[in-house]
Amino acid sequence: MFRSLPFRASHLIACLMLCLVLAPGCAPKKSATGPAKIVIWSQMDPEERARFEKNIAAYQAAHPGVTIENVPYDTENLRQQFQTAAAGGGGPQLIFGPSDQVGPLSLLELIRPLDETMPKGFFDRFVPQALDTLNGHLWAAPDQVGNHLLLCYNKKLVPVPPANATEFLEMAKKLTKDGVYGFAMNVNEPYWLAPFLAGYDGWVFAADGKPSLDTPAMRDALGYVALLKSKATGIMPAECDYQIAETLFLEGKAAMIVNGPWSWAAYRKGGVDLGIAPLWVLPNGKHAMPMIASKGYSISVNVPKEQLDAVIDFVTFCTSPEAELRDAVALGVLPSHKDAWNAPEITSDPTLKISQDAFTMGRRMPVVPEMRVVWDVMRPGLQKVMNGSMSPADAAKEMQAAAEQQIAGMKR
Amino acid sequence: MLRAPRSFPYSLLLPATIVMLAVVLFPLGYSFWLAFRNMSLYHFRTHEFVGLDNFQLVLTEPIFWTLLGKSLVWTGVNVFFHVALGVLLAILLSGPVRGKTILRTMLVLPWAMPQYISALTWRGMFNFEYGAINLILKQWFHLPPVPWLSDPTWAFIAPILTNIWLGFPFMMVVALGGLTSIPVELYEAADLDGANGWEKFTNVTLPSLMPVLVPSILLGTIWTFNNTLVVWLVSNGGQPADATHILVTYIYKVAFTYSRYSYAAAFSVVVFLMLLGFVVYVMRRTSSQERTA
Repeated sequence: MFRSLPFRASHLIACLMLCLVLAPGCAPKKSATGPAKIVIWSQMDPEERARFEKNIAAYQAAHPGVTIENVPYDTENLRQQFQTAAAGGGGPQLIFGPSDQVGPLSLLELIRPLDETMPKGFFDRFVPQALDTLNGHLWAAPDQVGNHLLLCYNKKLVPVPPANATEFLEMAKKLTKDGVYGFAMNVNEPYWLAPFLAGYDGWVFAADGKPSLDTPAMRDALGYVALLKSKATGIMPAECDYQIAETLFLEGKAAMIVNGPWSWAAYRKGGVDLGIAPLWVLPNGKHAMPMIASKGYSISVNVPKEQLDAVIDFVTFCTSPEAELRDAVALGVLPSHKDAWNAPEITSDPTLKISQDAFTMGRRMPVVPEMRVVWDVMRPGLQKVMNGSMSPADAAKEMQAAAEQQIAGMKR
Repeated sequence: MLRAPRSFPYSLLLPATIVMLAVVLFPLGYSFWLAFRNMSLYHFRTHEFVGLDNFQLVLTEPIFWTLLGKSLVWTGVNVFFHVALGVLLAILLSGPVRGKTILRTMLVLPWAMPQYISALTWRGMFNFEYGAINLILKQWFHLPPVPWLSDPTWAFIAPILTNIWLGFPFMMVVALGGLTSIPVELYEAADLDGANGWEKFTNVTLPSLMPVLVPSILLGTIWTFNNTLVVWLVSNGGQPADATHILVTYIYKVAFTYSRYSYAAAFSVVVFLMLLGFVVYVMRRTSSQERTA
């Protein structure tokens, strides 16, 4: 059949097919021509996301012609996907997540230094604990502070929360019966180990910025959490990750749990009579000190100049005292804006006041890129201690060696 | 009327060729190029040529050999059970069975389910205290619960079991197709020779199935060797303690968690060359067998 086609027609067909293949790639980017559309990739819990969607709706109502699209991710995927997309020249205009993501993203030059991007004096409005400077720049505009772990308890089972390690153990043992555990905690994630490490006077980095994981404090912290989880103590399920701890707490099958402000809305919605308290005093007489961090918006380097004002305006809206207070009251998170931080809605709310007090006891989570590696090398050691296959001393040694090796690999 | 020139078929092939170049050859070539550089978190925009450094690092680190061993066990065990279960079920289904259509549909279901949903469901079922598998072991068989997700050995067996469940329907469908093409006369001749069931299977069924099974096994081996999803999701990223990684999940981790792009690229190139060698070897062997036949 093709043989009978005239010469020109045959080439025309071939050219048309080629055009069909290449055409999609030549399409102009919508953002350059259409109405302002801001895409944001975010890491939010379901309750937080629902609240954020309301903020988006309010913003869109006040700014006809502007469309905001929120694409949710989990923490790891958010960073990885953004890294890949932004490095290729694409990706969203905004990325919202925990403060430590700015470490790798700023080093890769994928986000803008906001102290140079936002209007002058923009960052004066925030409480100082909300701002993380890295390499002399601010990389995120925070809309909340905290991310700190506290003791959450079911008031029906625990009338008064334990203040110290002895009270805690006695209470947890007494409550463990009839299919109810006295305590549940995500023992697979190093973020949950950090308060105990800090409580035993340890930290993830030494003063010179090098990892400091093979320390007596790490051994004590690992030993203490292993003791809580052990069969002999018998206050926790044999395997306990985030989902299990949360499900048990929601079902009234765990009396106490360690979790952060992001989870409270779901607990209340699930019918738990929720009480919160700072983490208890450890056997060494010091409080377990949670890591504290902010969550905020970073602007991609790929945002074209003509769209930058629209993006800045949206970030300013999201970090306004009104928006932050709405979130704080609905979700139980702490605001980053000074006016909202000192507002009566926060200071007169018993739960938020406890959260504020616990926050002031915390230690700032480092935002350096090496933090990612440290989390990752702590996880295997922690899990080995928890499943009983390694001693705290050996695990601490292994964590330190792995951290040094991986950080050297990153810099090679 | 002019006749179309000889170049016409090639110009028709051009669009597909361009797509293939863009989505297959370019990434492959880019990986090779990256493997000889030092692109990482600290050298993301300023990476430079480092020769064979990354390859030297990959091949001298003990983790490579540990992971290679695990990948071979993962692939071997999976493919063996995929083929064994697939052929067995195909033979059973090709016999006189009641409700054949329903059974066949049910057996193909694991294959029709999106892999990540199956993997996450299996992860839930492997939970020590609340998972369906331990509950069944305890209540039906009075066996002690198995630490599926917290013990390194069991945590490696867990994704293998999941992947066997996911993969056997493919081999079953292939074998079913192969079985229908075996002439009945061969079995009649075997009956005349007094062959029993096992002899008929080894002398008639299996040799007749080989032409369809060999390419499927080859494909299955490569798919399984490169299967990141099941191991990653069932073990939640290599847990416990990075003990459940195979080569490809480890590569994913060093690339996207540690941002060691060039090191990960060198790792991928080594894996690619190993698989290429395997494919060339198998293809040469099968083509020489065909020539002999």
